[in-house]
Amino acid sequence: MSPLVRVPAKTPLWRDVRVLKWVFQLAVLGLFLGIIAWLYNNYQVNIAKSKIPTGLEFLDNPASFTMPGNDFNQSSPVWSAFVQGFYNTLRISIVGTILAISLGTLVGMARLSKNFLVRMVAGAYVEVIRNLPLLVLLTFMNLAVVLQTFPRIEDAWKPLDLFVVSNRGIAIPWFEGSGTILLSVLAGALLLAVVIAWIRGKYSDRTGKPARGLLYGAVAFIVVTLGAWLTLGYQWTLPFVEDRGTLGGLRLDPSFFALLVTLVIYTSSHIAEIVRGSILAVPKGQGEAADALALSGPKKMRLVILPQAFRIALPAIGNQSLNLLKNSSLGAAISYFELTQIAQITVGNGSPAVPAFTLTLLVYLSISLATSIVINVFNRRLALVER
Amino acid sequence: MKKTVGIMAAFAAVSLVLSGCAASTDAEPAETVAETATETATADTGSILAAVQEAGVVRCGTRDALPGFAVLQEDGSHVGFDSDFCRAIAAAVLGDAEAVEMVDLETADRFTALQSGSIDVLVRNTTWTASRDGGEAATFIQTNFYDGQGMMVETASGYDSVSDMNGAVVCVAKGTTTEGNAALESSRLGLGWEVRPFDDTDLLQEAFLAGQCDGWSSDVSQLTGFRSAYPDGADSLVILPEVFSKEPLGPAVLDGDTEWAQVVNWAILATIQAEEFGITSANVDSFLTSEDVTIQRFLGVEITTDEGSAVLDPGLGLPTDFAYQIVSQVGNYGEIFERHLSPLGLERGVNALWTDGGLMYAPPFR
Repeated sequence: MSPLVRVPAKTPLWRDVRVLKWVFQLAVLGLFLGIIAWLYNNYQVNIAKSKIPTGLEFLDNPASFTMPGNDFNQSSPVWSAFVQGFYNTLRISIVGTILAISLGTLVGMARLSKNFLVRMVAGAYVEVIRNLPLLVLLTFMNLAVVLQTFPRIEDAWKPLDLFVVSNRGIAIPWFEGSGTILLSVLAGALLLAVVIAWIRGKYSDRTGKPARGLLYGAVAFIVVTLGAWLTLGYQWTLPFVEDRGTLGGLRLDPSFFALLVTLVIYTSSHIAEIVRGSILAVPKGQGEAADALALSGPKKMRLVILPQAFRIALPAIGNQSLNLLKNSSLGAAISYFELTQIAQITVGNGSPAVPAFTLTLLVYLSISLATSIVINVFNRRLALVER
Repeated sequence: MKKTVGIMAAFAAVSLVLSGCAASTDAEPAETVAETATETATADTGSILAAVQEAGVVRCGTRDALPGFAVLQEDGSHVGFDSDFCRAIAAAVLGDAEAVEMVDLETADRFTALQSGSIDVLVRNTTWTASRDGGEAATFIQTNFYDGQGMMVETASGYDSVSDMNGAVVCVAKGTTTEGNAALESSRLGLGWEVRPFDDTDLLQEAFLAGQCDGWSSDVSQLTGFRSAYPDGADSLVILPEVFSKEPLGPAVLDGDTEWAQVVNWAILATIQAEEFGITSANVDSFLTSEDVTIQRFLGVEITTDEGSAVLDPGLGLPTDFAYQIVSQVGNYGEIFERHLSPLGLERGVNALWTDGGLMYAPPFR
């Protein structure tokens, strides 16, 4: 060892950054666990003291209430009410998310339009809706639009005799027969369309010929649905007024309608801003490159800008779809039978409050986490692989 | 190599220290548990009664917008039948009818408020049912109003009877026994009603005004109240004759505190007994000199005989003059009824005294 090299003195433990980091991390962890343990103990003691029931036995009691629009009745067990509420929450979330993303994308693109009027209208829409509290918007939609603007059932609007619109709901023409078969046919057709589009994409990658995946997919979808239609003998039924309600067709509950419209316009105003931001975030050079290739305006948007903007927008839009799911709990305020409403009603009918709401909380959490996982997987696949 | 050993040693040392910490953090809550448990035990033997007497106020769970039963006034006070029973309890326990803290509760929260101890007594139009007695940790006591569920429709609708209402939309308040009763009645009569629950009665009334509902179903007493305050006038609504459920409404207290339950029970019973004796808030003082021994006992008047003086203390933990305080400050059952419910057009009906063929009956005060 050369005398010129200075041997560093051994760092004492209490000054060793690596050790100190560990110590602090573990101390914080210990403190955190301690607080959790303390809170949990308090909970246990207080629950025992206040005699609040904590079991899940109530799930097997008869629910003793009914829901409009399905065969759930007052003898069904409480758990089946929760299942129905779960289903209704999913229904409004899925339909709402699809509509909100479509509307939001359109509005977001409109905000970047070269047409002054379109740009201003889209801007006003976003700024007004985005700055309103959701519950106020929902209550307004229910009280002012559904209750007051829509006619009474006696004077229901019947545009073209296809629809029946009143403040007791909106009935639309629908298929007669099993909803499950219908859904499986649609899902199957959609799956087939996606697979065909994917194969076309691979083919295009190999040969360099245009993929036209959308066209091929749409044709496959239409052929399959039409084929099923003819072979399975589906029929339209038209809604008509009977007694104090409607029969036939598919009836959308007024609260479903109010909640759906509110969630869609509210969420779309947020998505519009995400879409606008994402389009602007695509590097300028990409647009110029598309111009250099002499791509037409729509083609430039569809083939160059939007795919890259989508990549940027995906995590934020995923977040908005989660928000929509969680916001659907506001449906309880206008008596849409989603999870929160079910929890409130079962509690009012004798189920213990703490377990019922804990269950509700866990259901929301699992739907949200499952959605996040799907979004994350998508995101990972779509993210640019950077080196 | 040396370094690794050093780090590992440090880690071991740290984890030793930490496990010590963890043990102590574990131990601490355990002690707190023990402490809280003993506190609870003493609180239990001390009863809610002791806590109320110490606090000098009765916390009464009530509601804010039910005409006749409890309506929140602009100055923050509550007026109504139920509110007066809250005052009667305060008059009995504390000698001051105004020593009440009215806690407005949503229907869905009322039992949780009782269970968690944020109220002492629930007087909020609550129907006594077996599963509430059993599952909600509530003890129901003397019913102060016997009610039943009915149906209100627009006069113009032309309905004369509940069985006319085929395929109707029936609107109810959310989270009550009303929902289940309406559903049951619909399936019993095979009428296929759509029962729509509403978050609160203001929203229900909006929907009813807009024609979203054909029927408004609730306890008849409530319907009478809503009808009297209906924006289009009481005559535009009619309450159908059928009553299709039993709704005994009364105060409820937390399970496991018999002393407090008895106190609240006898406060209610005193209003009924006072009416039976004909003692009102106006004439109660003249009864203080009554020669009737049963009245002397009831009002807690000192009975002077040759052997000395005596006063009846039933041992409820209440002041001996609790009935006097209730009647002088709040009134008897009939007065409370006439003050709040008669103006709505409600008849005494089954809520008359047993001497008049009703159900109001108090055990003897002796």
